[in-house]
Amino acid sequence: MSQRVNLDLKKELFLYGAKEWNQCFQCGNCTATCHTTENGFFFPRKTVRQVLMGLKKSLQTNIDPWLCTYCGDCSRTCPRDANPAEMMMSIRRYLISVYDWTGISKLFYKSKTLEVTSIIVLSIIVMVLYLIYTTFPSGDSSQWIGPDGGALINKMAPWQTIHLGDWLMAGALVFLVITNIFYMWYKIIYDDKSLKVGFIDYLKPFSKLVKLINPDVKYAKCDEKKLTTYWVLHAFLALSYGTLFAIIVFFLDWFQTDTVYPFLHPQRILGYIATIGLTVGIIYFYTNRTLKNMENSKYSHFTDWTFLILLFFTTLTGILLHVFRIYGLPQLTYVTYMLHLMVLVPMLVIEVPFSKWSHMIYRPFALYFAHLKKMVIEKSKTIPHQPQYN
Amino acid sequence: MEGIKTTAVFFSNSSRGDSDLIDIPEIINYTEKLIKVNSVWLQDDINIYSPELVSRKIRKDNIRRIVIAGQNPGMYKSLFAKAIVLAGFSPDDVILASFPEHGALIKSDTEWAKAIVACAVNNIPFENATLTEEISVNPNTLVIGGGIAGIQASLEIAASKNKVYLVEKSGTIGGHMAMFDKTFPTLDCAACILTPKMVEVGQHQYIELMTYSEVKEIRGIPGDYKVKILKKARRMSLSKCIGCGVCAEKCPVKTPSEFDSKTTLRKAAYIPFPQAVPNKYMIDESVCTYVASGKCGICAKVCPVPGCINLDEKDEIVEVNVGNIIVAIGFKTFDASKFEQFGYGRFPNVLTSLELERLINASGPTGGKIARRIQDKKGNWIFSPEEVYSPKSVAIIHCIGSRDENHNKYCSKVCCMYSLKLAHLLKEKLPDSEINEYYIDIRAYGKGYEEFYNRIKEEGVNIIRGRPAKVEMYGNELIVRCEDIEGAAMIEQKVDMVILAVGTEPAADARDIAGKLGISVDRDGWFNELNYIGDPVSTLSSGIMIAGVCQGPKDIPDSVAQASAAASRVLQSISKGTIRKSVKTLSVEQIEKRSQELSKILEEKL
Ligand SMILES: Cc1cc2nc3c(=O)[nH]c(=O)nc-3n(C[C@H](O)[C@H](O)[C@H](O)COP(=O)(O)OP(=O)(O)OC[C@H]3O[C@@H](n4cnc5c(N)ncnc54)[C@H](O)[C@@H]3O)c2cc1C
Ligand code: SF4
Ligand code: SF4
Ligand code: SF4
Ligand code: SF4
Repeated sequence: MSQRVNLDLKKELFLYGAKEWNQCFQCGNCTATCHTTENGFFFPRKTVRQVLMGLKKSLQTNIDPWLCTYCGDCSRTCPRDANPAEMMMSIRRYLISVYDWTGISKLFYKSKTLEVTSIIVLSIIVMVLYLIYTTFPSGDSSQWIGPDGGALINKMAPWQTIHLGDWLMAGALVFLVITNIFYMWYKIIYDDKSLKVGFIDYLKPFSKLVKLINPDVKYAKCDEKKLTTYWVLHAFLALSYGTLFAIIVFFLDWFQTDTVYPFLHPQRILGYIATIGLTVGIIYFYTNRTLKNMENSKYSHFTDWTFLILLFFTTLTGILLHVFRIYGLPQLTYVTYMLHLMVLVPMLVIEVPFSKWSHMIYRPFALYFAHLKKMVIEKSKTIPHQPQYN
Repeated sequence: MEGIKTTAVFFSNSSRGDSDLIDIPEIINYTEKLIKVNSVWLQDDINIYSPELVSRKIRKDNIRRIVIAGQNPGMYKSLFAKAIVLAGFSPDDVILASFPEHGALIKSDTEWAKAIVACAVNNIPFENATLTEEISVNPNTLVIGGGIAGIQASLEIAASKNKVYLVEKSGTIGGHMAMFDKTFPTLDCAACILTPKMVEVGQHQYIELMTYSEVKEIRGIPGDYKVKILKKARRMSLSKCIGCGVCAEKCPVKTPSEFDSKTTLRKAAYIPFPQAVPNKYMIDESVCTYVASGKCGICAKVCPVPGCINLDEKDEIVEVNVGNIIVAIGFKTFDASKFEQFGYGRFPNVLTSLELERLINASGPTGGKIARRIQDKKGNWIFSPEEVYSPKSVAIIHCIGSRDENHNKYCSKVCCMYSLKLAHLLKEKLPDSEINEYYIDIRAYGKGYEEFYNRIKEEGVNIIRGRPAKVEMYGNELIVRCEDIEGAAMIEQKVDMVILAVGTEPAADARDIAGKLGISVDRDGWFNELNYIGDPVSTLSSGIMIAGVCQGPKDIPDSVAQASAAASRVLQSISKGTIRKSVKTLSVEQIEKRSQELSKILEEKL
């Protein structure tokens, strides 16, 4: 496959956070160190090579960076300090923008100002909508307090109203995510003319379901032991996030109640555990990124920080909202709820389809596609000729 | 005359932000004050892809001459030459001021770099502006280090019937070369070349050999140095010892042998190796029980020559007067245990190249048999001479510690070639074995080298491009994990033995010696030469020459050539009877003034 060399590719990747890649002298140390390397997937060296040579098309259809778990082994031992691991991270950011057919992701990754402005604009829209469709607790304050002492939240912002907004937002997100994944499939599988994928083939990777669901199982093979903590906390954070997301979108009526349930009620227990997951995760990732004490936290792109900051404020306002509601402070509850939505909505709308968060969706699919590809190649038995330079 | 402020000085960016590099901003400050300088250009001021734009700048600023200063000014010469021609002037007026070429490499050389710029601005060759006056010279010479370079230099000078003091730190001369069996690329027997030279040094009437000695102090100026040498006590008389070896036989203390790369043990009473020069036994004070506690003394009792062993002998300091000094202290090899992933020190059959050199050598621990280490009954790992244990497959890994940002950044220059040599010797001794070389790039420059490389390939050695990530041990087997880049495959090769091609590093006391001599070392610790291209044997101090690997990685032919060059430089001053004063006696101001004067004289003549 001949392709044009794109000299701007390197410069472009800088915007996505790539470092010192130019140092690489193609020694193959990283490939040999990497625990995810298997025959057929020679990376990260091969991927770095694509960048060095400006093979944009190869890079865009490259799935390998998603296999990387950022264990950092390659960067630690690279004789040229070429930071292959951070290169993979940057390429993942780049690929997120490639899969996003709307092109919005690209704009966010390249411009801090644009991302921040969008967040603010969205916040304001949310605020306006909130003020229009909800009622401020005024007059006799006792009418806003329920029999068990909690603020009557559903009287100010009925869950039905919020739910409607949730669904509108979720619908848009689902649409974007699905179309993006379709585009990813198109680029990676469909466009690769050397692959002949039959319908049955699509089912095969599920035989390796464990690997698909849990890519990080492979961390076990890595050298750095700190990674176990990393992985546990990362999973806890992701799980907490997912749980709260599901509750809000599908079971808001169960979660947002006027009754204050006893402490051990499932509603409260679940909420507390998830909150702990978020808090511990945020603190851990924040310290990691500030102390830079691991290979995978040495470099931070501004989008990494945006996500963390939005998540922090969402959690903080969430906790405050809960406290104010339970202790029957209607005005504060009303305002905090507004603030909560003002950070929550931009976080979801911007991060889910267009930025950091989307790796949660792309990575499992990428792994799925990678296994699919590998199985199809193995089936045809002839391992395709791997030209040295792409 | 169209005014005198017509020179522009362009500073090329120094490589990656290294804190110990020359202080460019300070030099820029200095340059801007020079009379002839019109403007200083930095990389950002110049579009290096467009001679047209530069030529416009030349005309606009009324520039007639351009000086390019920095680490690598030659890179920009063609750009500025084109630009100045486009502007209507002569390309001869583009002048290079290369810092490394004149010995300015690190931060402490910043002053020196200023002088380099000043000379270029005045269009006077640096060498001319830094000529110093001649003073008379003492015809005796001190050579420090008795490796092949030191030996060669000593012999050259002594051949002209001038006195040489050769100071060697260990108990024998010969250096690293004495450890090898064969040398690349001719596969000549190393001992056949080296031993006659060593013997000649030992017997030469004009060479005073001082082994087991170190230079303590150096005072004086070029042409007249006073050197204090510490002669450590051998505790055995050089004149009386008959080399019978009874002392060593009976000595109860064992310690690893340096000569055998620590693959064997020697006694505290020992001779470094059978062909050592001087061919006499000595006592290693660092392990001898008598020296430590006053008990033992067995050697003295068994020695057949009365009065030969004097266990209470004390170190001695001798003082010599010399006019010139040649430094040839060689190198040490990279410590392979710094690479945890290759298991050196943990896995008994992971060896360094220097250890393999000894294994291959007929005088080595196995008498030249290639053997693997196996566990004996007591659980110790020993080289087994039995045929069944000879390795069936060997992996040689290149660039250990060299070309590595985490260790030494430079290429050690000899390891590719000696690895190929070792592969050949292994193949010769074990024709059925499989030899794999893992390399990043093969550096086989020079006469007969590429041919040597091709020959080794034809002999059936597998040459694999890819740097292994790790070596693991399962049972007695070693597994090398590597990407075969050209074959597009991941390999996990089972081998019996792994050889690490360790790079070269400056000798342990290089910085210390440099301090005593008042010469400088570069960032990596190699001695700085006066002019890397034009004068690679002199240093900033005119009575001090450098030769061999201590100046930078090189092989034996290059070391010998450089040693001869250093000797000829010394002989030049001896036969003239005078030597120039050290250029270091000149200050930046003096050099600047000198170059101005010279340039004035030149302009008047024109
Ligand atoms: C494994 C290996 C294999 C090699 N094979 C080859 C080959 O086949 N062909 C080839 O051309 N080159 C080969 N080389 C390179 C070769 O070893 C060097 O080029 C050569 O030894 C350089 O000689 P030298 O005299 O500069 O240094 P050295 O041989 O290191 O000699 C330096 C001497 O100085 C002494 N000394 C050190 N410090 C002091 C001090 N402070 N005071 C006094 N004395 C001191 C040391 O004891 C030593 O005797 C090989 C190198 C290695 C590591
Ligand atoms: S990124 Fe580093 S380890 Fe990987 S091939 Fe390049 S230089 Fe080697
Ligand atoms: S960071 Fe780890 S998983 Fe990622 S490419 Fe490097 S070695 Fe492989
Ligand atoms: S005194 Fe004893 S330990 Fe020392 S060299 Fe003589 S025999 Fe060996
Ligand atoms: S000579 Fe060869 S093995 Fe040695 S450092 Fe250079 S490239 Fe590496």
